[in-house]
Amino acid sequence: MALRIHLKPALPLIPLLPGVSLLGILLVLLRDGHGGGLPLLQQFAAAALQPSIDPAVLGSLLNGLQITLVIAVLSWSISSVLGVGLGVFSACTFWEILAGVRWPAVVLRRCLAPLRAVHELIWGLLLLQVFGLNGWVAVCAISIPYTVLMARVIADQVDCHVSPAIPVLKGAGATPWAVMLTGLAPPLVQPISDHIGHRLDCALRSAVILGVFGLGGLGTDLSLSLRSLQFQEMWSGLWLLAIAMVVLDHLLRRLRSWSRMLMLPVAIASPWVALAWGTHLDLQLALPVGKWFMVFGNLMGGSQGLSAALEISWPGVIGATVWITLIAGCVATGLPPLLMLVWPSRASLCLQGVVWGAFRLIPAPLTALLLLMLAKPSLALAGLALGLHHSGVMGRVLIDDIRSTGFRSAQTLKSCGASPRVCWLYGPLADVSRAYLTYAIYRLDVILRDTAIIGMVGGAGLGWQLMEALSSFHWWLVIWIVMMSAVLTLLGESLGERLQGIWNSRAMAL
Amino acid sequence: MLVRESRAVLATGLVAGLALTASVASCAAPQNDAKQTVLQIGAIPDQNPEKLNRLYGALSEELSDQLDVSVRYSPVSNYAAAVSAFRTGSLDLVWFGGLTGVQARLQTPGARVLAQRDIDAEFTSVFVANGASGLRPFTSADQLVELKGRRLAFGSESSTSGRLMPQYFMGEKGVKPEDLAGGGPGFSGSHDATIAVVQSGAYEVGALNEQVWRSNVADGRVDPDKVSVIWRTPPYVDYHWVVRPGLDDRFGEGFTNKLQSALLELSAETENGEAILELFGAERFIPAKDEDYVMIESVGRQLGKIR
Repeated sequence: MALRIHLKPALPLIPLLPGVSLLGILLVLLRDGHGGGLPLLQQFAAAALQPSIDPAVLGSLLNGLQITLVIAVLSWSISSVLGVGLGVFSACTFWEILAGVRWPAVVLRRCLAPLRAVHELIWGLLLLQVFGLNGWVAVCAISIPYTVLMARVIADQVDCHVSPAIPVLKGAGATPWAVMLTGLAPPLVQPISDHIGHRLDCALRSAVILGVFGLGGLGTDLSLSLRSLQFQEMWSGLWLLAIAMVVLDHLLRRLRSWSRMLMLPVAIASPWVALAWGTHLDLQLALPVGKWFMVFGNLMGGSQGLSAALEISWPGVIGATVWITLIAGCVATGLPPLLMLVWPSRASLCLQGVVWGAFRLIPAPLTALLLLMLAKPSLALAGLALGLHHSGVMGRVLIDDIRSTGFRSAQTLKSCGASPRVCWLYGPLADVSRAYLTYAIYRLDVILRDTAIIGMVGGAGLGWQLMEALSSFHWWLVIWIVMMSAVLTLLGESLGERLQGIWNSRAMAL
Repeated sequence: MLVRESRAVLATGLVAGLALTASVASCAAPQNDAKQTVLQIGAIPDQNPEKLNRLYGALSEELSDQLDVSVRYSPVSNYAAAVSAFRTGSLDLVWFGGLTGVQARLQTPGARVLAQRDIDAEFTSVFVANGASGLRPFTSADQLVELKGRRLAFGSESSTSGRLMPQYFMGEKGVKPEDLAGGGPGFSGSHDATIAVVQSGAYEVGALNEQVWRSNVADGRVDPDKVSVIWRTPPYVDYHWVVRPGLDDRFGEGFTNKLQSALLELSAETENGEAILELFGAERFIPAKDEDYVMIESVGRQLGKIR
């Protein structure tokens, strides 16, 4: 009988595989490199050490930082609370316990997906059409996609933490709610509170990007400085943002170390604090009044609904979008584990944390501009710019996960005489691979949305077309593009679920 | 374990107490919603944006003195957002570019053009090229066909001088966006960034506002060996002040006309006026009419930026 062997990469190698794409990108960079922008890069680097300390600039930045914080905290807490609720409702396990069926969860998930497909910047622009300049526009613009993303993560967590006690409890005649409280909830506290904590960092960065609306905020100052290439003033803002990120992160860590149960009460309570703070700032937080008529009136007035769909050559645009997203996804996923293996030690984790923090801190459009100073525009470069920004987020996730393993597996392997690299590869990295890959799949969603803010590198992709349609107030085209993004998101999601399935089963086989 | 639990209880209590205090405080604090009696002014983010705050602070003060109403400046750093904020009534008086001003007026029936700078009546854009591209200054507009197959960067997608008019003049000579290298232009996001990406060589050609080009050259931020002007567009009208309808009802009869006069009377002879005009890069403001922008509207429609 012939012996058949299926060659499968070991689990910890899968997160490293996307890193292979870096070779391709390197080749493109070598082909397109020009180096003509080195003086500008030098200016940028020098400005980091000499940020502007002009009192007018600092005053405006400090005020902006407060507005950004208020918006971030409000949208973080709203999206956390709603997201946990919606997440539980869209978990298959929940419906199985409650009613013995799975379909309501699947239906709810699929219905929520389109909301996720639209970048918060574009939600902001859409809501602005209806409500005008108002703080709540920014809060809602962040909260909508964040709530839905949070719901997806929570639902997946619920479904993958099914306790073997559940059937026993059910068999013993416990009511569905009692089963959920005793069998389902306890193992979920840790992953959910970790994720909620992590989202505050994201909300802060989104609030910065949303500053472009003129709600004040640090983002307004940063984008204005970027537009005029005033790097010194920009660095003052970036340093302030960095400090805010570190302080918030530290506070949340402290909070989690006290008790993980605290995260949800804090998320519920913090909007009130933020609201009280907001009233003392130059931020409009009165209840907005919608003027739906203008948007719908414009839409109904035109009869070019179908012809609008023909204005874009869809295959090219979709191809570019998928390509950029894939490249960015590979870079974002592959880079952190690679860096970790280049220098595998516990001491280096802190330094790596700083590197990923810097990547997160620098907004993607700025990364794109800096890369353009080195190479000619191409889709690969656009992907690299987005990928570097998101590798900051993935790096943070990886380090957090690895820290939470406690390094026991690495010590075990080391005592068996393995080299440090092998220790880390088959130790901590293997432990966290599955969670990391799951998170990488969520990240693809975000990257797809982020193609909206990379117009600089060739103006390609669906996101950019959406910005262009919005700036022409071409509502029919906006609708078509949003629908197409939603379809792509849904496709990506079902593909992602399948991949997760494959990785999980491989993990079982190990 | 006990210590941790008591800490958790303490922290929960603290959080709850803080939330309660804060919600009471937020109910008691006055809402800063005095929109009706405040003149809200704004501007599209175009040139020297970091100066915008300083500039509009001074302008708000000046208008407030002249008109005896409170004036508040809201920075908006996205062109489409400025148009929408104007339409929804969040901004009353906005400094728009040619295209965005027309978009705003079309979406806000009754809105009208108040004034423009002396330089806006005959505004120009320049095409700049990287020395390595081999492009030399054009002697006639017909040479725009040489741009076919080149990597070209515009500024912001809604910019009149950084995108609309350059694209229009290229189209006149049969150069369509899809004829460019990469299947379309790149959008650097601002005039200053256009200079940077062309100077570095990432893009071979760029189109931008001539005023910004000149000020960059004057400040020594341009390396003349690497980047130079290859063509200047024919003149067109650009930036202007647009005002919402209904201000007379809110601030009193004849307010819109008074506002127009206040802008037109800004002069370099007063200290505040001099600072404002200098930041605007103008000698003075001159009257402007809706009809002056008919050409921009038709170009906007032709290129699909106005629906």
